[in-house]
Amino acid sequence: MKLHEKILTHYLSCTSPVDKEGYLYKKKERNATYRRRWFVLKANLLFYQERPGDRHLLGVIVLEGCSVRRSESDVEFAFSLVFEGPGLKTYRFAARDGQTQESWVQTLVSASHCYLSLLVGDLGRQYEEAKQQQGSGGARPQSSWSKQPAGDLALAAQGPTAEVRPGRSFSAGTVLQAPSMPTKAVAKKSPKLWPRRHAHVTPLNGPAPSYGEWPLVGFDPLEDFGKLHDHYGQEVKRAREEWLRSRRAREEHTDGELVSLE
Amino acid sequence: MRFNEKELASLSRQPSEMAAELGMRGPKKGDVVKRRLVKLVVNFLFYFRTDEEEPIGALLLEQCRVEREDSRSFSIAFLDEAERKYLFECDSGEQCGEWVDSIIKASYEFMRKNLIFYRTEIHRLTGKDPLEQYGISDETRFQVNNGLQLVSRDTSSL
Repeated sequence: MKLHEKILTHYLSCTSPVDKEGYLYKKKERNATYRRRWFVLKANLLFYQERPGDRHLLGVIVLEGCSVRRSESDVEFAFSLVFEGPGLKTYRFAARDGQTQESWVQTLVSASHCYLSLLVGDLGRQYEEAKQQQGSGGARPQSSWSKQPAGDLALAAQGPTAEVRPGRSFSAGTVLQAPSMPTKAVAKKSPKLWPRRHAHVTPLNGPAPSYGEWPLVGFDPLEDFGKLHDHYGQEVKRAREEWLRSRRAREEHTDGELVSLE
Repeated sequence: MRFNEKELASLSRQPSEMAAELGMRGPKKGDVVKRRLVKLVVNFLFYFRTDEEEPIGALLLEQCRVEREDSRSFSIAFLDEAERKYLFECDSGEQCGEWVDSIIKASYEFMRKNLIFYRTEIHRLTGKDPLEQYGISDETRFQVNNGLQLVSRDTSSL
């Protein structure tokens, strides 16, 4: 298959922002050695070259249909991109420290076009609802949120906005979703609080939608984004816990030569 | 440049709402129109010989310009080379319009702009950052001030 490289390299070098870049060690399949490479993530494309500023790109990994996993490996701070399907690859990486590892894992988990597509769909709905509620409730933005009991819809100005900031869903272990009210059904009389509900999420069976079962644009994206996000949340949560554990463990050991990296 | 070819081929086999036989002509002088199965998956346009499973090629739909050429055809220009275009001939004006629309909306950059717009607007309307609940509010790619212009009419066609 011809991948029109010039289009990719042009995109890489154009003015749109780079999403993440840095050194990582990439494992060569053949001889199981790790080589340090400079990685640049833009959109759903992970480019790599020997060092920053090199004109010659070594390669690119298109990040669709893969899951990010913390690797069980003899190398520390390792993670991998696992492509699901017969004969498909697993790319293995290692970072220089736990922070770098976690940072890359989190970013890669949300890098795919599929993910962004579901997220945009979700926000689009929230936006429409917010506009509707804005219209029906008058010009004043809502200043109080879910801490109030459902019956109390008072919009009295309370001075500075008391923002309710839900905790990061990863540590809380739950995924909060926008209410799935059809926009036509919003009451015109008084503005409603957004009801928060905990998504009943069935964990996915595998690390990624199995071959042939991709999230399609036609689904109920709310449900699927919640599932997708919760699944990624679990992965990242695991990665995070492992990192914290290994960090504690390391603090108890003296540093030694772990593995020789090229 | 190496790339994950098998995985890309697998991607090309995923279901897509935009897949059709179109006339396709390459950008070089002397290129002629050929029947190809053209398929839009995420931000890639794959094209196949009509009886083959493996795509001949994949075009990344970023930083490109999609234009209506006439009632039934559209073009995609890459690399800021406005005259170096791929031409696609459709069966109808309606089909042509659908392709142009879909290709524009398939771009990652287009989606990112919309995301940032929604994020900003939802925050303005509700005082709440909608990305917080997903724990991704700090991701670089979703930042409001990463140099993009927010134009509300970007989303008028959505």
